[in-house]
Amino acid sequence: MSETKTFLALFADIDPAVNAIDRLREHGVNDDDMNVISGIPLTEHILGRPRVWSNVPRLALGGAVAGLAFGIFLAAGITNLYPLKIGRQGLVNGAPTVVLIFEMMMLGLMASTFIGVFLDSTFPSYRPKEYISEISDGKIAILFSIPEEKEAEVKEELDHLGAESITPAEKRQL
Amino acid sequence: MVATAEPLEQAHPVETESPQEHLMLDPRPRGEMNGMVMDAMNTRTWKFWVLVIFLGLTVVSCLFIAWGYLIAEGLGVAGVNKPAFWAIFLVNTVYWIGISHAGTFVSALLRVMKAEFRRPFTRAAELLTTFGLIQAGISIFMHMGRTWLAYWLFPYPNVRTLWPNFHSPLGWDFLAINTYLMASTMYLFLPLIPDLAMVRDRSTGWRKVFYRILSLGFRGTEGEWRHLRTAMTIFAWAIIPVMFSVHTIVAWDFANATRPGWSSTVFGPYFVVGALQSGIAAVGMVVVLIRATMKNMKYFIRPEHLDALGKLMLIVSMTWGYFFFQDYMVQWYGGDKFTQMLLEFHEKGPMGWMWFGMLIFNVGIPFITLWNKKIRRNPALLFTIGLLINVGMWFERYIIIPTSLTINRMPFTWRLYVPRIEILLSLGTLAFFILIYLIASRLIPLVPVWEVQEGQVAHGLRKVGKATVKTVSDIE
Repeated sequence: MSETKTFLALFADIDPAVNAIDRLREHGVNDDDMNVISGIPLTEHILGRPRVWSNVPRLALGGAVAGLAFGIFLAAGITNLYPLKIGRQGLVNGAPTVVLIFEMMMLGLMASTFIGVFLDSTFPSYRPKEYISEISDGKIAILFSIPEEKEAEVKEELDHLGAESITPAEKRQL
Repeated sequence: MVATAEPLEQAHPVETESPQEHLMLDPRPRGEMNGMVMDAMNTRTWKFWVLVIFLGLTVVSCLFIAWGYLIAEGLGVAGVNKPAFWAIFLVNTVYWIGISHAGTFVSALLRVMKAEFRRPFTRAAELLTTFGLIQAGISIFMHMGRTWLAYWLFPYPNVRTLWPNFHSPLGWDFLAINTYLMASTMYLFLPLIPDLAMVRDRSTGWRKVFYRILSLGFRGTEGEWRHLRTAMTIFAWAIIPVMFSVHTIVAWDFANATRPGWSSTVFGPYFVVGALQSGIAAVGMVVVLIRATMKNMKYFIRPEHLDALGKLMLIVSMTWGYFFFQDYMVQWYGGDKFTQMLLEFHEKGPMGWMWFGMLIFNVGIPFITLWNKKIRRNPALLFTIGLLINVGMWFERYIIIPTSLTINRMPFTWRLYVPRIEILLSLGTLAFFILIYLIASRLIPLVPVWEVQEGQVAHGLRKVGKATVKTVSDIE
């Protein structure tokens, strides 16, 4: 069985990068064996790539539910645990309860959204990774793995499509 | 015979704008834009250091020492006394919370509305939110007097098993302001990550370590962008109602009391509009200052941006005028004896100059100036109008709080509030705000370069008939 090698192909523009993705597919590179790294967000529609699954919305929803429960606990739970009767006021009143529930629910929603980005992107991660600083200068990099015997052929094609460089992907300290 | 048509003479000359007028139509290579922003961050002239030292000394003397004195001696050294126990500290709190609305409005609401002009100055506005809320929090702690007992506001059972009273708007305030502070800080940080990664790639030494830690290992993979964008969309939608709730609850601190001048059903939206009024004016001022004082910023912040902010200022100013009149009309028409006396006191009392100043600065000046495109696009004039609006909005809060507390239903308690140490502390918070903003401007990219480039990729020109028009593609 042949060895696979990982390369980083660098493109200056979106169109050649998209063509290169199509060509890599034709060479049998699975979408799972490719990753596009860019300095601006390029959607799946632009790149013609499968949609990346994100847990952020679900985590956000979970956080909102947890916040709602905490809001109810603050507004209704503790007033029953430690009742403090004031005149003819009810222990749990509608309007203040709505305010507390709303604030806690929104806090839960946004905090869990924030945490969701960290979890889904495995942030923070300070290990060496395949990256070159030209990416934040607007270049688009395609990180892909191919069998060793296809290296020359694929490199030539990507060169032809306008790749600025195709280098073995090296993990380096960011 | 074939009829030939003479070209029609134009009734009015059409004002043509160069495509270069628009940042989105004047793209530069990303590397160059990165370099420009890095240059702006790394340029520190002697004037910068003089200003930092001056502000630092002001903060030490007017904030730390003066606050220490207040804590040591007690609230007796402040001007607060019967009947105005709520005074400048709360004026400042409301004012700074108002300023904090700018970031959310500009960044979140305009993002949701896909207003493209927002792109280069969203971060400058978001910083206003976070730093403004810090000043608001400091002002509340000053108002407490016994600052070390602040933890009594936390919901925990004390020895008498009395919890904070969640029936009080002050308790809601505590939750709402904290929610907003945390949310706006997270919302500031998320879109900052790619820019921090950009700075990391161009830094050396301790700065490299600093930005490596802050950028969390971001590279810009498809997954990272996807999660980031999803989160930013959720934040943009979720933070807007929180923004509205914060100032509405601040308004309820007053409106839920049965005091003359305060008990008003319109206070919630009136306060929100007031917050937007001062906030957007503050964004206008900050944008002009950044453009004038930071290197390369004239490329990113152009007359088109000042123009758009000027229009927003005008619209919000007219809305504020409408809400003010609505509040005034109902209070005046109600005919309550003490409310009538209060309204008369506002206009003809010793603080009448402030009441008229408020109307002139908040409505009069914006109304007669901001209709004019040339004025909107003039940085010095826009800055001046923004400054006057902010002074006017501070006056408004002063009139609502200590001036209105002067007149109540017990005439034997009437007494005009005169600030004492509060003046120093107000200057201290203002200096602290400017100082941390100034330091932040050299530590983080004030222009979100990736958002600007994203906008430039989406924009183009298209021929429609004989006209060449701007177009924007939805690439999200």
